[in-house]
Amino acid sequence: MAGGEGALVPVPSENGGSVAVYPLHHGLNPPIARLAISWSRGNSLRVSVFRPPSEDQVGGKVVEVKLSNGDQEITDAQWRRIEYGSVSPFAMLQSRRSSFSSLLKVSKSPSPYHLDWWEYVIEYSKDISSLLGGRKLSPNPIIEEPKAIFKKGEEPTCLKAAWELMEIFYADKQSQAWLPERLVDWLADYDSLFSSTQRTIHSKLVDFQKDLVNIQVIEDDPRYWEVLSSALAVGWLDIVVKVLRLHGSYQLDQLSNREIENGLVEAVAVLISKMPRLRPESAVGKLGECFKSKPEFSKAWEKWRAQITKLDCSAFWIQCDNHQTREGLKGMLQIMLGNIDSIHMATCHWIELYVSHFLYIRPFTMGIESMYNLVLKCIQMKPVSNTHRLTGLLIAILEENTEVVLAECSKEYGPWMVAHAVELLSAGSEQAEILLYDERDNLGGISIGELYRLIYAQVLSSHSLTWQIAPIYLTSCMKQGMGLLEILLYRQSVRHNESLLKNIELCRLYGLNHISSNIMKVAGVYDWKHGRKGSGVYWLQQADDANRLHRIAQQLFDSVGKSISDESFKQWEGVIELLGSDSKSAGGLEFLHKYRDFKRFLQQVTSGKSTEAARQAVDSLILLMKNPSTPQRFWLPLLYDSLKLFNWQDCPLLNVSETNLLLNKLQELSLARLRPDFKESSLPPEALGCVRLALATNLGRAILDE
Amino acid sequence: MAKPLLTLDGGTTCSSWNYCGERLAAGSVDGTLSIFDFRDPASSSYLRSTFKSKIHEGNIVKVVWLPPEYGDAVACIFADGIMSLWEEVAKDSQPFQWNMCKSFGSSSMKVLDVQFGISLTILKMVTAYSDGYVRVYELLDPLELKSWQLQAEFQNVIDSVSTSGKASCLSASVSWNMQKGGSQESSFIVGYNSNTSELNSSKVWEFDQAHQRWLPVAEMVLPEDKGDQVYAVAWAPNIGRPNETIAVATSKGLAIWNLGLNPDHDGRLPVERIALLPGHEGEVWQMEWDTSGMTLATVGHDGMVRLWQSNLNGAWHQQAAFKPTS
Amino acid sequence: MAVTALSDGPEIQRLPQYKYVDAVRWLPPLSPFDRFAVLASFDSDSDASSIEIHSYKPNPASLEPHSSWVSPSRVSSLKTLQFLQKTVIAASTYAGSLHFLFSNSTDASLESEVSVPENELHRGSISSIDLMDGGVECVSVAGDGRVNLVTVGNSNLSYRRVFDSSGLVSYTTAKWASPVEFATGGYGFSLHWWDQRKPGGPVSQFKGNWDQKMTAGIVHSIDIHPSRKHTCLAGGSLGTLFAWDLRWQQQPIILSRGGTAAGNNEVPLVSESEVWEVQYDRSTKSNMSSTRLLPAMICSEDGILAIIEQGEEPQELLAEPCSINCFDIDRHNPSDVICGLEWEAVAILTKQ
Repeated sequence: MAGGEGALVPVPSENGGSVAVYPLHHGLNPPIARLAISWSRGNSLRVSVFRPPSEDQVGGKVVEVKLSNGDQEITDAQWRRIEYGSVSPFAMLQSRRSSFSSLLKVSKSPSPYHLDWWEYVIEYSKDISSLLGGRKLSPNPIIEEPKAIFKKGEEPTCLKAAWELMEIFYADKQSQAWLPERLVDWLADYDSLFSSTQRTIHSKLVDFQKDLVNIQVIEDDPRYWEVLSSALAVGWLDIVVKVLRLHGSYQLDQLSNREIENGLVEAVAVLISKMPRLRPESAVGKLGECFKSKPEFSKAWEKWRAQITKLDCSAFWIQCDNHQTREGLKGMLQIMLGNIDSIHMATCHWIELYVSHFLYIRPFTMGIESMYNLVLKCIQMKPVSNTHRLTGLLIAILEENTEVVLAECSKEYGPWMVAHAVELLSAGSEQAEILLYDERDNLGGISIGELYRLIYAQVLSSHSLTWQIAPIYLTSCMKQGMGLLEILLYRQSVRHNESLLKNIELCRLYGLNHISSNIMKVAGVYDWKHGRKGSGVYWLQQADDANRLHRIAQQLFDSVGKSISDESFKQWEGVIELLGSDSKSAGGLEFLHKYRDFKRFLQQVTSGKSTEAARQAVDSLILLMKNPSTPQRFWLPLLYDSLKLFNWQDCPLLNVSETNLLLNKLQELSLARLRPDFKESSLPPEALGCVRLALATNLGRAILDE
Repeated sequence: MAKPLLTLDGGTTCSSWNYCGERLAAGSVDGTLSIFDFRDPASSSYLRSTFKSKIHEGNIVKVVWLPPEYGDAVACIFADGIMSLWEEVAKDSQPFQWNMCKSFGSSSMKVLDVQFGISLTILKMVTAYSDGYVRVYELLDPLELKSWQLQAEFQNVIDSVSTSGKASCLSASVSWNMQKGGSQESSFIVGYNSNTSELNSSKVWEFDQAHQRWLPVAEMVLPEDKGDQVYAVAWAPNIGRPNETIAVATSKGLAIWNLGLNPDHDGRLPVERIALLPGHEGEVWQMEWDTSGMTLATVGHDGMVRLWQSNLNGAWHQQAAFKPTS
Repeated sequence: MAVTALSDGPEIQRLPQYKYVDAVRWLPPLSPFDRFAVLASFDSDSDASSIEIHSYKPNPASLEPHSSWVSPSRVSSLKTLQFLQKTVIAASTYAGSLHFLFSNSTDASLESEVSVPENELHRGSISSIDLMDGGVECVSVAGDGRVNLVTVGNSNLSYRRVFDSSGLVSYTTAKWASPVEFATGGYGFSLHWWDQRKPGGPVSQFKGNWDQKMTAGIVHSIDIHPSRKHTCLAGGSLGTLFAWDLRWQQQPIILSRGGTAAGNNEVPLVSESEVWEVQYDRSTKSNMSSTRLLPAMICSEDGILAIIEQGEEPQELLAEPCSINCFDIDRHNPSDVICGLEWEAVAILTKQ
């Protein structure tokens, strides 16, 4: 679907009946007479568009509509890489869940959350997150490039940002005590994403960096101070300190006459790098001093604020004769002192304002509810015309409304996101778990969690390269997964050996023998009817399809019957070899196998004239004639082929009872010829007479012998 | 975004994809049957024509693929009421060919719709004729599409008293309850668009093994709508729901029905209409359920493609619509 | 049976291709410093198939696109050969065409191509081809039951049909044993031995004289070692790897079996599913006694790349979450193995 409107999945309908109408481009000239539709695999729909009959124009078009494409910012090939990569973490988490719940049954513990289930979830979350690409904003200063503010890295994606947001709030139980600081870090990584809809601090910095090389006296440029204040407001301390030290007063030739000015700059830089933070630790090399416990932090905070106030009132300011520097630094101190007006000025997006609140205005904010109230306040202060897809999710999370979070995930990030985020959400709280895993009559007896997995499996199924991973998700759906899996496997093409075998392997893996035998049946019939008789028989044997094999035996008899006395029978050797001697699986084809043996001995007789071979030929002839599976219409050809045996010079090869058996068959045959449905063989008309005569002679000789 | 797959020749009137979406059969106004195939495995856009031949004098109005267990074969329904079965085969090193196996129907007894189902490993063909009779044929030899036997014929009415007067039927729609593997006795639903009101309402027919006959086990109609003409019926695949779901399109709109699985003392299955949706401002041409049975796609008189789903609260609604544009 | 992991694990690099990898081969090296790999790829977004030459750099292993050729259809079998200062890449397609690409020996750029169009050699897709060592003769087999020999000259080629079973027997794979002999594999674990001096049909057939409990399967790949021409090493369904010694025709030597069919503990279990490709492992030093089989490497649908040696515990080199569809051991640097993975990636292994 164009335009990133997201997936067609059942979400609580909020738009009150108005339906999204999408254009379906087919490129035909109007008018259109008729449409036809067909679901392809998964959720891709094929539409045939027909024009009214006319000679000179094309008659119509067939187009395919994929009813979900998760995200416009990620290409199809990238999506597939994410889909492949998610399989192992997902499967691992599922297997842990099942061993975890069996462990719980043993220990009788009331809830999994008393144990450390979330540690598995966070491992899963990190694995998934690593698939979603890197971060661009890495505020580490690079020594080699003194004027580069940002390190170049991978483009951040909204998908990853959204995933990390959920990880922070739901999966990472350790971060619960310092959620605000996690948000500060999160924004530092993903602020650039907000630049797509409006100006951000990141875009300000990027613009400034572009001009940096052209600026002669950096501290005289008002943008320098503006950038510093902005970066400070959102807590990018490393960048601020780095940029501060680009200040002209640091230059060696300036140091002597700008001592005071430089001292003030450095004092601010030191204060910034010593800013107390309520968090366990920051990344290596990051500035700021971290405090794990609130009392310690609060003590350090008071001290730090006192130092700022002291500096603010210092007499040195008067001695600093650079107006720009003085005002710029003072402005920064105001931000550090939590002056709402300064902070409001320094930030662009409300989310930046929000983060500044945590840093400078309400550093002791705790609890989701107060964080939510603060978000509302910030939105009010910096209203935006269009909401960003990330802010929608953030607000839903802070609102603590799991259903809306799901809806946001589904709407903005597609089925992959929802199916995988359910694991994070359900780890978040017991209410969320109940909401996600309670079976609902409205959904045909499945849970929301299962529904989203089914939907994702449908998305996977609609691509020829990813359908094979859909079973991983379907088998984790307790109620309806297997039903959908059966249809999915059944609806794969059998025309190519490799894909057929991969399909059968999946059936084996999930114990779906009835499906694989059906697939093999389809393959067998396809091969049989398309001139590959050998592989057709092979697959029907594998499918244990006695019914069809029996019919094939009938058809083979017809073909063999034609060539019964000639050498082209050799061609059939391969099929007969394949059939083996196991009469159960070969169905009526057992006859062919015996017939082959008979033919072989007969050939040896013709070439070598050995009596031993002739005896073996007689034995197999008798076996054939005794066997009820030998069709009547082959009796005469078989006997006619054996004339040489009946007239054997050295001795009679058949004893009395054997000869009588054959004579009885001949008698039966003569009677059968009177029936209207009898099919005459293509042998010469005197064949029957010849055989009778030869048998009679043999009988006479046998009687004399006995 | 719509991805173009194929351009059809002038005069094409109908098309149908096979079970795995790998082959397309198309019929045209001059009786030409065309087959298109994806060239490579896993290919998603490169279709080429592998067969094209005029197989009949007159318009092909519908093409239906047979289940793949019976080979690559289609049933073509022509405007004159004839329906013929065509099969692709290769004989001894010869290239593939499409051959006619059998034909049904006549101008006085037109075949209106045909659908195939596998029941107890036997292929059954349900045909709805213009005389208001449903005829069920069985395939005698699983490898030979010539050998059909009429198993049953009956009118689409609940009471065994046959309808008075000559029925004149414009169209009919049949849909099987597709069970995977076909190891169980199957059932199907059929509805008519005719001048005889008893025939019209869509009814579920089930084969009664004990008495060797087809019995109507449910009727998908509200008392006040009894005579409504039925445009299309579609039985949803069931991947594990406790009820069957069936869509029925009539002049009143698009109804979604639940069919219970436990019969009452009369042998009837409980039915409940769970939604009546506006549909297409007129005739519904075709309805197709996706493989999960969760989404219904429909096309009809207004020239739109519409998708219908039930939301998390179980309420059916239109999820999206597509407007064909150049 | 447990599979022992190597103590000194190989170095593994997985390189996403964002395209399906139909086949992989090393190119015979042009110089010790310039090494190339050939990938037959299929881009599902654009539906385009191509044969791509990538230059290979070790430590860490990486591939850099070098040159490519657009194939009319997906590649079903790919072989490479060095012949008279020329590098030959042969590829058969699902549509049934056969292509020979000649690349420049100095910089591996593609210079010319000759091909046999579809429906000439086979009806439908070609299952397998093999190039004869030391001469540009190519055997092709397919499901239609035909066996063809294609002779490539300078810019022209000729071909002849060795056999046509009219579909009664389907062939899945072929491998040269000598300039006049080759082996083919097919359904029911069947192997046929062909000798050009005795035309008209296979000169020897391996009867799948397995114990009855064993379900039949399909041979997917054959290798024949130049020093042991009488032994045909074959891999196929159900994790099966067996050797057929022409001198002991009735009894196969089973090296690996999966599933319930294995039964006894004497046969190691490496994989449960299709063994897609088998090659003699030229890097593992083994006891070269003539009575024992040489060590072999297999890759499988269940994601295993392993070395199997008669009477030894199998060594698992890779266990991927997806199928390993193909691999190739670099003949000239036998410690380097390139694998084609189902999930649109290749893996390059360097054994320590």
